[in-house]
Amino acid sequence: MSSDVKSMKNGFAVIRFRLPRCEKLEDNAEVFHFMFVKKHQSKNEQEQNCLFLINLPLLTGLETLKKSFSEICSQSGTVAHVSQLLHHDEFGINEIDLSSLTSDLMSTGDKEEKRFTPRNTALLQFMDSSSLENAWSAVCKYSRETQGAKVIDWTFQSPSMATFVNFYKPLDLEYLKEDIYTHMAIFEEREQRAQEEAQSSIVDEDGFTLVVGKNTKSLNSIRKKILNRNPLLKFEKRAKSTSMVDKKAKEDFYRFQIRERKKQEIGELLTKFKEDQLRIKEMKSKRKFNPYA
Amino acid sequence: MASLKRGASDAIKYEESGLRKKALIDTISSQTGEKDVHFEGGNGSESEDTRATGSGKDEDDDEHDDDDSSAEGHEDGVPQARHAVKKIGAQDIQIARETAELFKSNIFKLQIDELLQQVKLKDSHILKVEKFMHKLYDMIQRIPEWGSHTISEVETYFKGKIVTVPFVEPRPTASTKYKFEYKTPDVSLIGSFALKAVVYQPEGSSVDILLTMPESLFEKKDFMNFKCIHKRSVYLAYFTHHLSLLLADEKLSDLFHLEYAYFNGDSLNPILNIKCKPDAASSDYNFYKTKFSINLMVGFPYGVFDAKKLRPNKNCIRIQDDKETRTPFYNFSVLSATTYDHYLKFLYKTKKQTEAFKDACMLGRLWIKQRGFTSDISYCGKLGGFGPFEFATLMSALLSGGGVNGNKILLHGFSSYQLFKGVIKYLATMDLCSEGHLQFYSEIDSSATVPTSRYIEEGFQTPTIFDKTTKVNILNKMSLSCYQTLKLYAQGTYRNLNDTLKDQFSNIFLTNLNKVSNLKYDICFDLLLPTDSVLQEQFGPVEKIRFINLENFVVNKISNVMKIALGERILSFEIELLNRHSSFPISRRKPSGGANISNIRIKILVNPTEHEKLLTRGPVNSDQNSPEVLSFKSFWGKKSSLRRFKDGTITHCCVWPTSASEPVIVQILSYVFKLHLAEDAIISGQTLKQFHELLPLPNLPASSSTSITNLGSYLTLKKSFEDFHKVIFGMQLPLTVKSLLPVGSAFRYTTLCQPVPFAFSSPDFFQDVILEFESTPKWPDEVSSLEKAKAAFLLKIKEQLDSGKYKSFFIRDESIPYNLEVLTLNVLTPDGFGFRIRVLTERDEVLYLRAISNARNELKPELERTFLKFTAKYLTSVRHTRTIENVSHGFPLYSPVVRLFKKWLDCHLLLGHLPEELVETLAMKPFVDASPYLPSASLENGFLKIIAFLSEWNWREDPLVLDLVRPSESEEHAVESSIDAKKFSESLTLSQYKTMESNFSTLRKNDPQGFHVQFFVGSRIDPSGILYSSSVPLPIATRLTALSKVAMTLIKNHGLNKQTIDLLFTPALKDYDFVVKLQSPVALKLSSGVLDSQGYKNLSEQPTGFPSDLSQLSEKMDPTLQLIKYLNLKYRNSIIFSSHQYMAVNGGFDGSRNVITGLIKPLFKTSQRFKVNIDANIEPVDDVQVQLNKEAIFHEIAAFGQDFVTAFEVN
Repeated sequence: MSSDVKSMKNGFAVIRFRLPRCEKLEDNAEVFHFMFVKKHQSKNEQEQNCLFLINLPLLTGLETLKKSFSEICSQSGTVAHVSQLLHHDEFGINEIDLSSLTSDLMSTGDKEEKRFTPRNTALLQFMDSSSLENAWSAVCKYSRETQGAKVIDWTFQSPSMATFVNFYKPLDLEYLKEDIYTHMAIFEEREQRAQEEAQSSIVDEDGFTLVVGKNTKSLNSIRKKILNRNPLLKFEKRAKSTSMVDKKAKEDFYRFQIRERKKQEIGELLTKFKEDQLRIKEMKSKRKFNPYA
Repeated sequence: MASLKRGASDAIKYEESGLRKKALIDTISSQTGEKDVHFEGGNGSESEDTRATGSGKDEDDDEHDDDDSSAEGHEDGVPQARHAVKKIGAQDIQIARETAELFKSNIFKLQIDELLQQVKLKDSHILKVEKFMHKLYDMIQRIPEWGSHTISEVETYFKGKIVTVPFVEPRPTASTKYKFEYKTPDVSLIGSFALKAVVYQPEGSSVDILLTMPESLFEKKDFMNFKCIHKRSVYLAYFTHHLSLLLADEKLSDLFHLEYAYFNGDSLNPILNIKCKPDAASSDYNFYKTKFSINLMVGFPYGVFDAKKLRPNKNCIRIQDDKETRTPFYNFSVLSATTYDHYLKFLYKTKKQTEAFKDACMLGRLWIKQRGFTSDISYCGKLGGFGPFEFATLMSALLSGGGVNGNKILLHGFSSYQLFKGVIKYLATMDLCSEGHLQFYSEIDSSATVPTSRYIEEGFQTPTIFDKTTKVNILNKMSLSCYQTLKLYAQGTYRNLNDTLKDQFSNIFLTNLNKVSNLKYDICFDLLLPTDSVLQEQFGPVEKIRFINLENFVVNKISNVMKIALGERILSFEIELLNRHSSFPISRRKPSGGANISNIRIKILVNPTEHEKLLTRGPVNSDQNSPEVLSFKSFWGKKSSLRRFKDGTITHCCVWPTSASEPVIVQILSYVFKLHLAEDAIISGQTLKQFHELLPLPNLPASSSTSITNLGSYLTLKKSFEDFHKVIFGMQLPLTVKSLLPVGSAFRYTTLCQPVPFAFSSPDFFQDVILEFESTPKWPDEVSSLEKAKAAFLLKIKEQLDSGKYKSFFIRDESIPYNLEVLTLNVLTPDGFGFRIRVLTERDEVLYLRAISNARNELKPELERTFLKFTAKYLTSVRHTRTIENVSHGFPLYSPVVRLFKKWLDCHLLLGHLPEELVETLAMKPFVDASPYLPSASLENGFLKIIAFLSEWNWREDPLVLDLVRPSESEEHAVESSIDAKKFSESLTLSQYKTMESNFSTLRKNDPQGFHVQFFVGSRIDPSGILYSSSVPLPIATRLTALSKVAMTLIKNHGLNKQTIDLLFTPALKDYDFVVKLQSPVALKLSSGVLDSQGYKNLSEQPTGFPSDLSQLSEKMDPTLQLIKYLNLKYRNSIIFSSHQYMAVNGGFDGSRNVITGLIKPLFKTSQRFKVNIDANIEPVDDVQVQLNKEAIFHEIAAFGQDFVTAFEVN
């Protein structure tokens, strides 16, 4: 069914790779992996000369892609120089950058940092536009080849047992110390600078320098705003706090107050009763009153 | 004011008011569209007063006033209600108020009304059966009388006839002097049908018709030596014979099936039962569809015998000159047969006086039925002796007193709810057995002044409600253990009725507890007595007259043995004789097969705090052998020994060994049964043992002889932590340590594998510990730097630790998604345990929250998930651990139950998807919220209750709110409910509960089907209810429910046995889309501290230290856990992968195997449009559509787990 699809309607070329045979899968038919490729168009300078790739095989790295793309190119007799693989995050670990969301102190100021592509996609960057053109035309040509011999074999990068076990290995202490030291040094320096800037640089329209205290970021001021974000309280109704005036006011001074309160009480009683009746009706319709269910 | 005009009850006015009120309510209900609003006259009239008095000042005493109101109260209400719509609102308020006051709450009253509607008998059915009853009456009148005949004449008369005389044992001899005859009886309708208090039952109801033998047939002394009983048997046989002839005459004999039965299981009292044959031709008299059956019972005339001589302590069967042996069964059978009619009149009188009596009876009947009680004699097995009749009689007695001073417990004006609650309270709080009894007068003349019923503080060691009028003990049929069971259930229900938080209606009336006896009882097993000759021998002439038949004798014997042997260890028990027949054809004298006592089922309710005690303490040793000592010694035989205790006393006692596979109770019973019943008595069908053996045994010395409730291994770990705690607090650090709190699951006794020193392969080896420093504003205000700063402190700690006996190392922790900088310090203690230190600062929470508020909208859900993970891991974990640990101290079985539940979940590959905390909270359900059952007191029971709960709970509609408190607290809270107890208890308050409920309803408003969050589990640990469950994917949640449903169906259909239990713990791999089998190069069982099934042989291989090079630790870790984690990360959009988390337990015999199962998400089961962000391994179908490229995925998985994958199965 899929063997004859060469490109998708939205302009993606479909390229296939033959997957290596696996004896544990008792299936002798040939299995292909399909990758979807398109020329990437972006104003971003960092992302010039790129191919947009969708559906990269397992543990694809720059080297494997380089290898397979050079094979594709060689089939059409051209050469394309791959420079790097961008935004490839196979396991989605770096999808969210907590650091930049909590503070801008550690950001490099690079726009690149905030760029991302959807999961299971990546940008393959070429050295120059001619490499890109070569590669693209080769890819288009390759996508039309659906017959046997010309389909390129893909080799998986299999992790070894050690890869999985290494997750349990103790971290190297010297490396850790070094890492912490440098990181903290950078951070402290930037924090220092940021504070100085904050204190000196805010000059308002009239030419006065705004004085900002050291403890502007005091927890409480931020907290109130931020705490509302707590997803655990999302479904909770917040009660209105009573003001001092309300607290002091007498509630049973005037006759009308008593009358009103009684009315209100009865009203509440009645609505509750009505609600209960409805609930019973609902329960009845669900046959909740059968003692022999 | 109506209240002032209230006078004595006037029958006519009363009738009027009732009618009027009905009309009134009709108008209301038609207005409100609610047709089923019930309105009881009594209640109504009271509330009328309340309304009329306006301010409601005397509402309280109204409630307790039992006189009827005057009609004036309605006079102004009725016309207004008819005309003005506004005033109808006032009437509504009226009903609303009334229900709130007279019933527990509005909703409760409405529920009761609805329930009573549901269980009402169809009028057409009643008419149908009544038609036949009229016919029957005519036929009875046509039966010819029969003059007096000798026994031999009787025998010749029945020779060659179909009908046999159902003589009871011993049958009259040929020398019998007295004569037998038949005279037309007095026919009357009795029982609930007569009182119109029958409820619909799916299996059908019975109508009791009483044939009272004329007084002239008896002599004064006929109550002696079976005389009247034999006369009755002949009477019944003659009657049956002629009735069948008459039926044949009327050509109705094809329609009906006649058989003998024992009334209430009493073998002295045969009755005739008439049923319609299922395939009978249609006829006016065919009432088959109504499922009724008719019991024709033969009674003696009231007062024909001297009641005093038939008291329980008298002898009425003489063997030789013995006048002392009591014959309570016989006496009761004879005496009660004279009172059927009398009690009907008595109850009818009460019903007339008490408006809600009938409804309350129906409620009581349902309550009794759901708990498995019947009116049958409890001595012949099952829960008996307390049926609807006893309930109604008790209620009547309490309506005319019942208190210690004869004060009225119930009042005639009470609502059905109040009457019901009053009876339950009485049963729950008053002891009618050992400390006292209830005395009442069943006077039927309503004009006579009746002495009040009174609670007398004198117990007869047998359940007693004594009727001074008839001299009958209403509870005579009830055994002690039955009474205890009844009391336990009454106490539970009383607590439920007092529960102000939850709606307990269905627990009280709707849940049938008898469906699975393993849920109702903690321990169930069969007692086989292959040779019952010993018992047969013991059943001598004296026993025969005391117990009447062998079954009663044996059951009594077993009860006594169990009671003495187990004492405080159990709460109650039930003995059921299997294969017992209580009905037999009219052509036979008695049920075929005779007494069958070789097959007995014993069901026990265990006392959770006492059952595993090693010692059975007897009397103190003294020089002379006191009778107690002698009886103790003779009861226990060889097991009895002398022991000196710390306080210097020397006592006779028995010591029992504990075992990981068998509870002490079972050991005791198998010993005493052999000693006292039969040498070859066998306890079989004991499923509990198999459940015990399912728990993984720790590789510790003597683990197979350690009780499952023993928490020793956990306590060793806790001790190790205490030492470590001291070390940390003794350190010199730049910031002082504020707290070091244990949060790992071993600290709350819930790890699947018990902690074993140096068993570092176990996933639970490193126990989480939260470290907090004194607060400082200097923590970096950025997440990765904050983590680095924490690590810097941990480095300092490590330096100081390494100089001592502790070893430690750093690991990157991935428990908080997207925070890749978290480092934990893993510490190895010298005694072989591991702790994982995480640092918590006051800055963390703010940073995670800030990330949420700064993020783009589409990232917010992910960040919220991160925040929840953080909260669960760092903040609530402390509270969770503390609460669970504390509560589980009150429930000794909690720890083994939660461990077995975890094993079950892991067996079915679900544990990896469910947060531990969620699992542990769910496992609390059978303990803290057991009703209508009792809190679980055995491994089997607890586990099954969790499964049963999961199979029935509707997560979409109901929030699960658990009040996590220890049993003692909740007890006081419910029964005493004093203000002080409330203040100090940690129970949920109403407002907390309401908050959780409203949280749930807002949650469901946004997501009615529960696609995002299926489980809502609120408790004081997590009032939001979603902290732990929000990460559970919908397919996993539904699978959990589906699996438990399958499990419960299996148990219901096939019972519990070796096969079904094995099946319960066999993963259904065929349900998944594909299965990958894995084989790890290292076996993990031993290094995880799990004992091999071969037992002690491998004890020597137990590791005794950590490798000197800590990086070697990783070689014995589970690599598949990481594999599965990365697979789930890579394919998270399209496939859900599951695997066993505990290879040591579920990974084959040496713990080296595992499986990965894949569940393709429904969206990817079909083709879909190609999108850039489709995030799945896809192949094109055409130039628009794509589908999941399964083959390629399988290749990827095979390549990913190259070193482990052994086989692939695609379903």
